[in-house]
Amino acid sequence: MATSSSPLLDVQGLSIRLGKLDQNIVDDVSFTLEAGQTLCLVGESGCGKSLTALALMGLLQSPPLAIAGGTARFGGADLLSMAKEPLRDIRGGRMAMIFQEPMTSLNPGLRIGEQIAESVRRHKGANRAEGRARALEMLRRVRIPAPERRLDEFPHQLSGGMRQRAMIAIALANDPELLIADEPTTALDVTIQAQILELMRELQAETGAAMIMITHDLGVVAEMADQVAVMYGGRIVEAGTVDRIFTDPQHPYTIGLMSSMPSLGDRRDRLVTVPGVVPQPGSMPPGCRFASRCPFHSPLCETVPPLRTCGEGHKVACVHAPLEQLNPVDLQETGT
Amino acid sequence: MLAFIGRRILIAIPTIILISIFVFTLQHLLPGDPILVLAGEERDPEVLEFLREKYRLNDPIPIQYLAWVGNALQGDLGISFRTNQPVLELIGEKLPVTLQLATMALIIAMVIGIPAGVLSAYKKGTWIDWVANVVALSGLSVPNFWLGIMMILLVSVKLGWLPASGYQPFAEDPLQSIKTMLMPAFVLGTAIAATLMRHTRSAMLSVLKSDYIRTARAKGLAEHVVLIKHALRNALVPIVTVTTLIFGELLAGAVLTEQIFTIPGFGKLVVDAVFNRDYAVVQGIVLCTGVAFIFMNLLADVAYRVLNPRMGDK
Repeated sequence: MATSSSPLLDVQGLSIRLGKLDQNIVDDVSFTLEAGQTLCLVGESGCGKSLTALALMGLLQSPPLAIAGGTARFGGADLLSMAKEPLRDIRGGRMAMIFQEPMTSLNPGLRIGEQIAESVRRHKGANRAEGRARALEMLRRVRIPAPERRLDEFPHQLSGGMRQRAMIAIALANDPELLIADEPTTALDVTIQAQILELMRELQAETGAAMIMITHDLGVVAEMADQVAVMYGGRIVEAGTVDRIFTDPQHPYTIGLMSSMPSLGDRRDRLVTVPGVVPQPGSMPPGCRFASRCPFHSPLCETVPPLRTCGEGHKVACVHAPLEQLNPVDLQETGT
Repeated sequence: MLAFIGRRILIAIPTIILISIFVFTLQHLLPGDPILVLAGEERDPEVLEFLREKYRLNDPIPIQYLAWVGNALQGDLGISFRTNQPVLELIGEKLPVTLQLATMALIIAMVIGIPAGVLSAYKKGTWIDWVANVVALSGLSVPNFWLGIMMILLVSVKLGWLPASGYQPFAEDPLQSIKTMLMPAFVLGTAIAATLMRHTRSAMLSVLKSDYIRTARAKGLAEHVVLIKHALRNALVPIVTVTTLIFGELLAGAVLTEQIFTIPGFGKLVVDAVFNRDYAVVQGIVLCTGVAFIFMNLLADVAYRVLNPRMGDK
């Protein structure tokens, strides 16, 4: 484990611009990640969590997306300002990514074994036989049945769950220190989801890799996370340990998220929702971006709230937190 | 794969039969009497009748057709009215010439068109893309005959680098044969290169957007590996389709270019035969072209299955 003075990944002020919009689509995102730890980035679709991950990998579609500022120190080097070639050396080697759609993320024209082996050859200087041997070993480790046969099969011959296992095999083939998983279970059947999460947790324990898990599923967060960062409108609105976030959420948006999670034995006529919709990128409120949907908003919310410490290992970007001191307006009353 | 090829050949048989029926009947719908052409100045009814009898033109058409098919199956496509040469021999003489021309043109087209398409898709919206598109559009717009004449003027007359016309059989002197064929092949090839470039570009543009290209980049692979191994391979299916269709067209459609460079090819044979009502030759040629098209389609089908393994499954 690295000491807290030099985290594995240290992201400071990451901002991403979309075309000519004058508001950043990802704005001033900062977080750190220790070796072996799991950070969950949580938020609704369009909140910038995937873009944050892609920016770290250097995979932003530019144009129209561009990095507008910030640093991301990974083992001493800044991923955001690095030249293309050294970044390629890291990408797929020390840092790897799993994508959301296993159906479309594998190349339909290449055999599974080759899709794993080419990455091993690229980063470990392995020859064909070594690459193939490593591919077979990885297929075993992600527990794909009949791995010898799968090695020479094409993606369309595999089920969705197996394809995601193959994606995990590709990502872990070079023993990365950092694994970024962008909603790895969203596209899968519920029964398969649990298996994949379980597998990822086991492999993480084996390899000691740190993980950034992007999800909108609080069940996944509870299952996987050490740290949680809640994103809204391109900013981190609350961050902390998984215990703190679940037991003592501070930001109105986090509280809304928590109460919108249905649970067994709690049958209500209507599901609780966070009222309103996310504003379009570029038309966010000038201060706190959640203000337009927030039941607590006040004139104070018209300046950007800083992400400030509100407890042991807990930060929040809301001027009103802790909400207990306020005369609380019941979220559910205004919400439904 | 062998079973697949076998199945495809079986499917091709009814197609060939249909083609032969069409060819045969269309031929008889054409105005004009081949016997008049054959007889020339001779108008003696007895001579004409004798000739009609000789070429079995008095038999009912179905009988004529069956006789023709029967002979064709034995490798006898009849005899040219005009030159008295066996049709098969005529085709055997001319086909290799056009085959060589078409192959060279296609190679030139692919060498220019596919890399240009890949590059312009990869550099979409930049000046490289723009230049490639302008050049491609010019390639499509400039008529072959004009380009041919201009090239003869420049390369042969002014610079004297290549012969302006003529034909040297490949088997006799391969180097000289390629040299004489280079200019016509280039003229034919440029227009095709433009078509190929446009198809490659659009296929690459859609492939480059796919998730698996992002996966390939996430592996840290070099851009040329991403472009060629991961993208172009998947973009090849439409390119193969266009290429095989073009090759089929080239066999019969290079008439103008053959004329300009005085190449004794298939195209010229077609035109002469049609104008002279040389039934047997026209029939033989159309049959050959039809079979060639079917063969090219078979090749394309095989290529699809190699390129896209999903098509291998039932």
